[in-house]
Amino acid sequence: MKKFFSVAKYLWAALFVLIAVTASAQKGDAYEMTVNGVKVIVQSSGNEIVEIQTIIKGGVQNYSMEKQGIESLAMNGLTECGTKKDDKNSFKNKLDKVSAQVYASAGKDYSTISMNCIKSDFETVWPLYADAITAPAFNEQEFNRIKQDAVNGLRAQESQPDYAINNMAKQIAFAGKDNAKSPEGTVASLTKLTAAETSAYYQSILTRSRMVIVVVGEIEKSVIEQKIAAMLAVIPEGKPFTLKKETISPVKNSFTPEKKDLATNYIQAVTSAPAPGTPDFNAFQLAMRIFSQRHFLEVRTNNGLSYAPQSWFDGGSSPSANIAVSTTDPNKYIGVLTTLIEKTKKDGFTEDELRNIKTGYLTRFFYGQETNNARASSLVANEVLHNNWKRALTLSDDMKKVTLPELNAVFNKYITNLVWAYQGDPAKANAVLFTEAKPAKQELPKSKVATKKKD
Amino acid sequence: MKKICFAVALSAAMFSVMAQPRLPKDYFWKKLDNGLEVMVIENHKVPLATIEIAVRNGAYTEGPEFSGLSHLFEHMFFKANKDYPDQEKFLKRTQELGAIWNGTTSEERVNYFFTFDRDSLDAGLRFMNAAIRFPIYRTEDMQKERPVVDGEFQRAESDPGFQIWYESQKKLWGDLVTRKNPIGDHNVINTATPEKMMIIKDKYYFPNNSLLVICGDVNHEEAFAKAQAIYGDWKNSGFDPHQKYPIPEFAPLESTKYFVKESTIAKTPYMMFHWMGPDTRHDSAGTIAADVFSTILGLNSSKWQQALVDKGLATYAGVNYQTEKYVGPIQIYVLPNPLKLKECYEEIMNQIKLWANADYYTDDQLATAKQILQRNFIRQTEKPSSLASQLTYHWCSTSYEYFTDYIDNYTKVTRDDIKRYVEKYITNKNYVAGIIINAEMNKETKASEFFKPNL
Repeated sequence: MKKFFSVAKYLWAALFVLIAVTASAQKGDAYEMTVNGVKVIVQSSGNEIVEIQTIIKGGVQNYSMEKQGIESLAMNGLTECGTKKDDKNSFKNKLDKVSAQVYASAGKDYSTISMNCIKSDFETVWPLYADAITAPAFNEQEFNRIKQDAVNGLRAQESQPDYAINNMAKQIAFAGKDNAKSPEGTVASLTKLTAAETSAYYQSILTRSRMVIVVVGEIEKSVIEQKIAAMLAVIPEGKPFTLKKETISPVKNSFTPEKKDLATNYIQAVTSAPAPGTPDFNAFQLAMRIFSQRHFLEVRTNNGLSYAPQSWFDGGSSPSANIAVSTTDPNKYIGVLTTLIEKTKKDGFTEDELRNIKTGYLTRFFYGQETNNARASSLVANEVLHNNWKRALTLSDDMKKVTLPELNAVFNKYITNLVWAYQGDPAKANAVLFTEAKPAKQELPKSKVATKKKD
Repeated sequence: MKKICFAVALSAAMFSVMAQPRLPKDYFWKKLDNGLEVMVIENHKVPLATIEIAVRNGAYTEGPEFSGLSHLFEHMFFKANKDYPDQEKFLKRTQELGAIWNGTTSEERVNYFFTFDRDSLDAGLRFMNAAIRFPIYRTEDMQKERPVVDGEFQRAESDPGFQIWYESQKKLWGDLVTRKNPIGDHNVINTATPEKMMIIKDKYYFPNNSLLVICGDVNHEEAFAKAQAIYGDWKNSGFDPHQKYPIPEFAPLESTKYFVKESTIAKTPYMMFHWMGPDTRHDSAGTIAADVFSTILGLNSSKWQQALVDKGLATYAGVNYQTEKYVGPIQIYVLPNPLKLKECYEEIMNQIKLWANADYYTDDQLATAKQILQRNFIRQTEKPSSLASQLTYHWCSTSYEYFTDYIDNYTKVTRDDIKRYVEKYITNKNYVAGIIINAEMNKETKASEFFKPNL
């Protein structure tokens, strides 16, 4: 009874920084253990569903620009090209039998190999999951099929304007850096890849030194330990690996248009942001949330300029602040935005806004607790990016400590020059308005600025 | 599936004496004297409460002069009311409550929902009450909101998936297409007036055409008492809107229709096929059989997936039926391999011809599909805040009993049921087929030459 299309209202209400929202309702029920040198984080769920995520760290740092897409193809190949024990159809049919989900995806910072099943099916699904990780076959015929599908899927994805504008903006803002690479690759890079090369690549990143495993479900510790130990026994330790963190500081505004026959114009700005694990991170998270609300109010409510004004903090290893809009009046929009940024820098945020955003954070904290998948994803992100999975459980309390002066200071510090990407009708936008729309550096009253950073 | 009509004498005089519907565990229902149905779903997984009001309104109530205005009305819900007279104040209140909120408009439902801390239930219900009962429509507010709604439309039009869907709907539903198109018509949206909003309100926004759901970490007796105290004086309309303003019946499709839509933004082609399917007024059994059959076709082992995806003719080939009260559509959505476009199309046609054959699927596949639907249900109920919307969908398009029994009814579906469904709605029936493709690929593949009826 699935629907294909309905109109949902406030897009921004569903958008918030992926890594920041979930935590445990019962903080004492999560624990970690080390199995064959790999950190395993376990949280109980109180329901019938089991979610397991095995992580391979590195993401776009693992391959060159020419090879972008290889990790994504490798991940897809784990479940689509058979294993040493099962050909592709046998593997997938066994999963279908119990409606289990085993899938893998490549991200900017890490790849995730996931398993989701009903608890009573765990013993059936685990061997398939472990085989997919440790003994993928990368059958050549199947590989050629998924390669064609990847090219096809990429073209379909590029037809989605939100995806396309975000990709373009990141490529410009992070030019020359790892984050300019796309995990999905390009048609050109995907086309050149072979089954043998992709299989060899996978074996090169499949090391215990890059792995973290998260289990959310009602599975006994001894069972988890025994199964994971058996799986890891055939995986080499590998060289020590540390995820690199790389920030940007645009030295001037820029505006790059691309003509597309769209019904409206898609515009996105990217600028600097604090790296995970730094003292500014939490305050910037809240600052961007409040700014997002102000942006919505000014752009949509007060000026009717866009259905979907968005701004968010992408808090990955290559962090960025992002401001995006789809509008038929880009010149008016940039005026409204510039005034808004100037006002925010000049007058700062308010105590009311800070109090309310903390209340909202608490709601999202528990909202993110509702599914095992969300819980696992939050534990993973906090472990990989912050080297601290417990942050997923303390985040709401951590946010309560953020002060107004800290909030104002980080907004002024990071929201500086904006790197604009534009897709639609370039004739509708005056590039000068975007490149010269530089909010003046504002001196906030001392009472509104943090005098020292948080410990 | 008739209602069991036992009159239940309630101890509290505040509620009408009504037949209790058959409901799942922890679902509690009452009907207020004014006709407002109240459902409380107790789920104590996280300390949050979700409230939702659904109204039997949406595209199906719209003739051409109102096309898209249920949706605009829904936007205006979030604008201004007697307690929060402008959107800035409205938004500030949502922030004070720490609420996650949204609204949607579809063919047969308009719904509004808020999730917040469980202790804010009373405040949240009052907030919802002000918005649903006492909206304010100002010309200047509407002037600002019209381009926002139209902007949502333009975003959709920038997506080739929407474009092909939209074109298909026009051909499938003919003169009554507005009854199936929630996003509406640009001109109607851009000339909407407060008077038109009041017409919608005075037709549909009454307690006797609405369902209030209170869901989450709540006590049902307390929740009922709050609902009575806050919504008890909402005045009944004195008429059944769906008797007074009946929905016209959709005429059967008179002929099979094909179209090839060229679009520069379609970087790869998409295909869609639509039939008019069963609905819950006339053929509930058919709607259940439709879901089971669609699930069979989704199995990796199915002839459908093997012929199209396994053989590399398509990246994706999904078959779906959408359960509705007024003729649910059956849809095939295919992302074909552009290098084998003709073969893909021919194989789709070939497979559809075989659907009614007894050997098109095995007994084992039928059993597996039923197992999948049961396990899907466990996953669907994992997220407490989503339970309200799941229920209101059924309240609008099926019934409480349908909702309570549908998983059990899936297990009872027989081969004869599926055969009846396929023969009644698909085999040798008229349909709409479309492909969206860019001009270059159209020329290369000669899609316009082969994409023609051959069933």
